[in-house]
Amino acid sequence: MNRKLRIGMVCPYGWDTPGGVQIHMKELAEHFQREGHIVSLLAPVSDESSVIEDWVVPAGRPVPIPFNGAVARILFGPIATSRVRQWISTGEFDLIHLHEPAIPSLSLLACVAAEGPMVATFHASAPKQKAIYAIGPILEPILEKLSARIAVSEMARETLKVHFQTEAVVIPNGIDAGKYSRGERNSDWYRPHTIGFLGRFDEPRKGLSVLLSALPEIARSIPDVQLLVAGPGDEEQVMKNVDSAMRSRIRFLGRLSEEEKANFFKSVDLYVAPNIHGESFGIILAEAMAGGSAVVASDIQAFSDLLQNGEFGATFKNESSKDLASVAIRLLKDDEARKALAARALEYSKIFDWGTVAAQILDVYEVAIASGVPVTLASENRGWKRLRSE
Amino acid sequence: MSNSILISILGILLLAWYLSFSATRLDRCHHRVETSWEHLDALLQRRAALALEIARLSDIDPATEMILTSSAYQSRAANIGDREDAETTLSESLKFLHRNALSGEITIKVAFIDELSSLTDKIRTAIAIHLEAISSVRNLRSKLVFRFFHLAGRAKWPEKYHFEDDEL
Repeated sequence: MNRKLRIGMVCPYGWDTPGGVQIHMKELAEHFQREGHIVSLLAPVSDESSVIEDWVVPAGRPVPIPFNGAVARILFGPIATSRVRQWISTGEFDLIHLHEPAIPSLSLLACVAAEGPMVATFHASAPKQKAIYAIGPILEPILEKLSARIAVSEMARETLKVHFQTEAVVIPNGIDAGKYSRGERNSDWYRPHTIGFLGRFDEPRKGLSVLLSALPEIARSIPDVQLLVAGPGDEEQVMKNVDSAMRSRIRFLGRLSEEEKANFFKSVDLYVAPNIHGESFGIILAEAMAGGSAVVASDIQAFSDLLQNGEFGATFKNESSKDLASVAIRLLKDDEARKALAARALEYSKIFDWGTVAAQILDVYEVAIASGVPVTLASENRGWKRLRSE
Repeated sequence: MSNSILISILGILLLAWYLSFSATRLDRCHHRVETSWEHLDALLQRRAALALEIARLSDIDPATEMILTSSAYQSRAANIGDREDAETTLSESLKFLHRNALSGEITIKVAFIDELSSLTDKIRTAIAIHLEAISSVRNLRSKLVFRFFHLAGRAKWPEKYHFEDDEL
């Protein structure tokens, strides 16, 4: 599309708290701005001085609410509503892009307040909840206003279908593939037969314990195996439960910077993601593939979908350290198979690059703005006002 | 006595509001079906034009050229009923052409290949969104309130074309 757009994006979660949705939106907004589009992003913000992007519009302080098993920082209420309305009426947007409008936060408010081209991205996936029978009739007429829906994965699409009986176009999350291909092998970290793990390792759902129980079995076949654990967490707590013979094979690297993360993927032979549940997409796998690692992951649905059932990364039976050990041993011993797998994955990871992903999102925008009308406040369109103005 | 009158007036007002609210919902969905179809239609026309151009300017065998040209002409016909099959033929032959161009069996200009794949992506997205709009209208119109009060008025039942199921 040659025309430059004025895009309004709405984030439901606190902008200054870390999270997948926020990172996705930040990178997408920056990509569009590099292409010459104008982006204004409305988000809840706890500490306004921490926001450095001048295109982010703070809408107020979010409230922490337990939601779907985690604490979500969301924003609602009359003041937020009037901020949303003011932002819409002064923004002169060609289109509004809402994220997670089914969460009771800013995006939902914007969906109610606006009329015109609106696109929404659904990130989360969850099994069908009973509460949907109560809130479904409220949300249905609101979400119906969306010109188009995007789901980030097959699972997110399924969730949307089960809860609201609507279809969505699947467009994956984006990554900056170039950043990961520029990574360099860190000779201090790497030695032959290195396995990598990255993430908040003291969260049980990340599954480090599965990998740790597989380690003795792997070490029996490959004595010089090394495990690099990157990410924040309590090392001592983890080491306490580890067989003392294994301790010398494990190294903790702590929290990595973005640049170090790219180097990390280049410094491991195998990247292992033993997550037990709670993933909707698995962006870390896309990053590892773009970084040139061979990937081994548990066969939870998000990972199987992303790896296309083992085509671009080996999978093992979820929570089975025995299966993980045998897959890891096979790949560590067979250099050729491992390198072929990594090469296939690297080629495949291009579909996750922002260049590809953002172009697909723009295709959706194009359908949404086909009617040619800009975004307005919903009340301005009410029938009686239309009559009066005629 | 006056109480029951008041309640029935209130009830009627509420019903009127609900009907107007529902009619707005349906109107919005109908509108979406129309705009998404217009957009898809424009993309299909662009694809037909591109197919003609490829057929004219590339060094391809006469049989392929004939299929491309005839289906591209048909798909520019005004009547959608006549077009349905042509769109499928065009999808199939372009897919065939694209595959062979990528493997190097047929040489077409790189610019054509790029335009073809980006246009195909756009069409795929446009079809998905159009079908979604259709199913939301059908969903609403099959509900009791909408049928009983004839909220759809004389609006046509949204049609789905069989070429929209083609794999592009």
